[in-house]
Amino acid sequence: MTDSVYTQLLDLACGAFLLAAVVVLWLRQLSSIVEVFALQGVALAAVAALLGLHEGRPGLLAVAAGVGLLRAGVLPRLMLRALTAGTPRRPYPHYQEDVSETRETRPLVNVAASLLSAALLTLLAYAVSRPLVELHPTPATRALPVGLAVVLIGFFTLVTRRRALAQVVGFLLLDNGITATAFLAASGVPLIVELGVSFDVLLAVLVLQILTTRMRAAFGGTGIDDLRELRD
Amino acid sequence: MSPAESATVVATGLAGAGVLAGMLLPTRARIVTVGLCTAGLGGAGMAGGVAALGGARWSAYLPGLLPLAGLHLAVDALSGLFMAVAGAVVLAVAVYGIGYACGRGPRGTASRGVQSSLPVFALTLVLVPAAASVSSFLLLWEGMAVTSLVLVLAEQRERSTVREAGVWYAVMTHVGLVLLLAGLALFAAGAGGETFAQLREGAAGMSPGARGAVFVLVAAAFASKAGMVPLHPWLPRAHPEAPSNVSALMSTAMVNLGAYGIIRVDFELLGGGPGWGWLLVLATGALSAVYGILQAAMASDLKRLLAYSTSENLGLVLIGVGAAGLFASSGYPVPAALALAAALLHVTNHAVFKALLFCAAGSVVRATGLRDLDRMGGLRARMPATAGFFAVSSLSAVALPPGNGFLSEWLLLQSLIHGMTVPGVSTAIVLPLAVAVIALSAGLAAAVFVKALGVGFFARARSAGAASAEESPPLMHLGMGLLAIGCTALALVPGTLGNSLSRAVAAAGLHGGRPLAGGGLELRLDRVAASLSPLWVTAALLAGVVAAAALIRLTTRRGRRTNARLWDCGGGAPTPRMSYTATSFAEPLQRVFDDVLDPEQDVNVTPVRESAYLVERVRFQRIVPDRIEHRLYRPVLAAALAVGRAARRLAPGSVHRYLGYGFFGLVALLLALAVGW
Amino acid sequence: MNGTMTATGTAAVTAQVALVVAGAPLLAGLMRQVRALMEGRAGPGVIQPWRDLRKLLRKEAITPVGTGPAFRTAPLLLVATTAVVAALVPLASTVTPVSGSADLILVVALLGLGTVALALAGLDTGTAFGGMGASREMTVAALVEPTILLAVFALSIPTGSTNLSAIVSGGIHDPVRLASPAGLLATAALAVAVLAETGRLPVDNPATHLELTMVHEAMVLEYAGPDLALVELGSQMRLTVLLGLLASLSAPWGIATTASPAALALALVLLALKVALLGAALAAAEVFWAKLRLFRVPELLAGSFLLALLAVTASYFLTGE
Repeated sequence: MTDSVYTQLLDLACGAFLLAAVVVLWLRQLSSIVEVFALQGVALAAVAALLGLHEGRPGLLAVAAGVGLLRAGVLPRLMLRALTAGTPRRPYPHYQEDVSETRETRPLVNVAASLLSAALLTLLAYAVSRPLVELHPTPATRALPVGLAVVLIGFFTLVTRRRALAQVVGFLLLDNGITATAFLAASGVPLIVELGVSFDVLLAVLVLQILTTRMRAAFGGTGIDDLRELRD
Repeated sequence: MSPAESATVVATGLAGAGVLAGMLLPTRARIVTVGLCTAGLGGAGMAGGVAALGGARWSAYLPGLLPLAGLHLAVDALSGLFMAVAGAVVLAVAVYGIGYACGRGPRGTASRGVQSSLPVFALTLVLVPAAASVSSFLLLWEGMAVTSLVLVLAEQRERSTVREAGVWYAVMTHVGLVLLLAGLALFAAGAGGETFAQLREGAAGMSPGARGAVFVLVAAAFASKAGMVPLHPWLPRAHPEAPSNVSALMSTAMVNLGAYGIIRVDFELLGGGPGWGWLLVLATGALSAVYGILQAAMASDLKRLLAYSTSENLGLVLIGVGAAGLFASSGYPVPAALALAAALLHVTNHAVFKALLFCAAGSVVRATGLRDLDRMGGLRARMPATAGFFAVSSLSAVALPPGNGFLSEWLLLQSLIHGMTVPGVSTAIVLPLAVAVIALSAGLAAAVFVKALGVGFFARARSAGAASAEESPPLMHLGMGLLAIGCTALALVPGTLGNSLSRAVAAAGLHGGRPLAGGGLELRLDRVAASLSPLWVTAALLAGVVAAAALIRLTTRRGRRTNARLWDCGGGAPTPRMSYTATSFAEPLQRVFDDVLDPEQDVNVTPVRESAYLVERVRFQRIVPDRIEHRLYRPVLAAALAVGRAARRLAPGSVHRYLGYGFFGLVALLLALAVGW
Repeated sequence: MNGTMTATGTAAVTAQVALVVAGAPLLAGLMRQVRALMEGRAGPGVIQPWRDLRKLLRKEAITPVGTGPAFRTAPLLLVATTAVVAALVPLASTVTPVSGSADLILVVALLGLGTVALALAGLDTGTAFGGMGASREMTVAALVEPTILLAVFALSIPTGSTNLSAIVSGGIHDPVRLASPAGLLATAALAVAVLAETGRLPVDNPATHLELTMVHEAMVLEYAGPDLALVELGSQMRLTVLLGLLASLSAPWGIATTASPAALALALVLLALKVALLGAALAAAEVFWAKLRLFRVPELLAGSFLLALLAVTASYFLTGE
């Protein structure tokens, strides 16, 4: 693999990685959000794999495979299950009266404004990471702002979305962003740390899945605003 | 005698004659004489400015004219540009003004006070760019402010809203003056002299903190004159309420001086300010551009719409100036020169088309007594010439070819796109956003002027005033015709300005070569691969139109056009009430920008007396207030009022108390001196 | 520039304009046919729009009562602006006498002039339909503008110029540029903008005649006969030119960069193929799309704006200038 092809592919993978985060903000249908998140997992795995191939580190390839399996396979599957488990089977599957459970209908910040905010956050990420990039400019570190932008967009999703599942995705975006930053800046953290983090994330999603189920049982919905009732 | 000198002398003489005529002559003769004197003054100013643009320089020191400091005047290419623009606008608008004021009685615009202020106002507009010392500048500046205030108040007996506008204008313009005074005084103190030559020399020796303070104070003062958000609230009040010839001058030559001030003081005299300062200027310009045009999109008062559009266009100018400063402070004079040239070209273009827009609007107001677009309509048939002039100036204002506004916005976009060669995080982030802002404001400007032209002049009359409109007198057409010629010339052969713009940019202290190369027919950028030939584009468009028309002629069997009724859905002829008004036209945009505009909506349902369920009347009201004014100025005004109320307790009416204030004040002062503080 | 070059260049410009004028109705016919076939209908055939135009051109010209010059000149301007754009854009050749003036910003502004002319004509009729169409059209046009210019910005960064010929020949000589994230994002943003500018689904439905959903059709409701023919032709040309522009920017292969007549002929054939392919793909996609609610359109445009902005940022933080 020549350098220019490597750069090109790495750029494309990073572009796809960032684009997926943006599309998560754009979409309303929770199932589509999860699918896009899965695609982002693929892009992240591709970034790791490319780095591994370029630097000739088989360990990184193994991490890439693990990351791909977890983030493009297991986590989306779990979330989709949480989504479908919550919607009771109806006698007429095509006719759904209440679609609010499967859609992010009214986010706290409307979609157009979210997209514009994402644009500003990306610029912010670029501005902040610029000094870091200048320390050691390689194709990988140049893409560093992408990781940071995804972290910020994930945080933004976490703050502005109402549905629990959308929030889970926001949290996972944040984590994906951190992982990508680690890959791009330092060609990945040691394997054992990566495994630990992934395990944590898996646990967190499981906990959140249980929480969503419990919330639905308690409130009949997964609107995070309902949690306010617990305070009183 | 140099051309600039003779122009100044002639202009001053004519202004004096105009003032005398305004005070002494009877109504009709007064209007005509004042108009001719002002027009001559404008012509002289234009000639002097053009000579300066051609490379002539002139400076003078007249110690006797102003006590203590004396009057310093100096003309270089930069002042020449602003003098020429102001002079040209004054010339055309003065001719227009004769027709505008005639035949409407001796009151209002034709009164002695107003007519004798007009030449002085015009003279200050032409001479402010020539001032070459702080005291001369401030004197002329204040003269401009006071005379324009008198002119804004011209029709105060006819409408009660004029007085409120006058108060806003007086307060805002003097807040600006205080800032300017503070900034320039600080500058003069730091530089150790008050003539511009001394300031220029002394600026380098000032501490960065002092320079930054001067920069911000002066920029804020000039930005308020240019109608920049958030210092703009006087603009959408004063411009609609002033007589239209005055609004035409204020909205072009006067607001231009805001831009001139920033270029002259912050750019040239301070020798380029700090990078953050220029970022601030750029951000202010961007904010004003979008906010101004958005408010214009919501406005249904024609002159208010034009006033907000002024805010937008000066915002674009400041984007260019800010970008130029940013590039220059990073050490890249070539893109800086290009950006500044774009800003100066936009100053010129905007002055000409906005003067024409205000004149055409004045013609409508004079004929119909209406400023509300919702009640106009159908004027194209009643006032074809005015409608034509409005169409020409709208085309210039929408930034589409073959209008002249397009050329300067194109140049501005080019300068920003090529500014990407300047390294640094701030340019990398700011320039794309600035491009987006310019694009959005251009897009919204298209909607705004489609609304103004389409709703105001096309379709059918929606009120009796519009239905019985009469075309304006020929002198008004003459004035507007001059401006329309200016628009056309600037649109077709802008390349002829290339050398002048290069000289003006060099006079601002930027030696980035000639930003505009190429001859009269083409606008080609120097050292940048971009060119535009407006004349050829226009010719190609015309050829296309002719070809399409010929196609229709050849293929259609029956040559004549037949009239037919409008499609009425079978429900009888549609009435003018059914057509789209300015408010309904703006509704989709208002909903899109709901979060920004924050409109106030009020639905009032009156049920019939017998039952709460049967509705007798529904009253629906929606106001789109100026949000910044609402949120920013209301609290300040309320606080000022509260402080004033509280201060009343200091003055209970006891003479002893008042004398005591003086006594204790004196003692406190002496004590402070004795302690040695 | 020597004689033969000028001659071939002039021929290229003429051929581009002729191809766009003649091919635009065929493209519209093709798109309708694709749609009909996918919906299980037989379809009227590819040349049906030409038959419609001929029919309309033969009818008498109608002036609705109360309309003025704006109404009458708008169709002419629409066709003229689009024709000038067709001449400027390097659809088939980058070496033409006008390639120096083929500025991308100018192209965008010329298309805007056509939109504005038509909106004014809509207001000139003084009917509620005309006003509604004009108002909606201008709203969409105003919001599309930032996307387009930012995409222009992104595309012009690698070349250092907004000149279309320079951008296109840069793309031919350096194909990596096209597949970079910046190039792809800018093309995607531009594609959304093209959908909005040409009034296709999901922004506007060109086939609707229901007042609540109309944008473009409401504006031109009063046109009949030859005027309507011009409006239809103008809209079809606009779609063709914009698809051609998209093809030139994203897949410039085959466009003549020299003054050889053979290359030009090949380029013209390839242009027709590329545009037909894009049109067919668009028509096929439209079968599966629904029109967005008018007030959801800003979301779509905000999204495309974001893509364009990402394209600009990507073009300098990934390629590391």
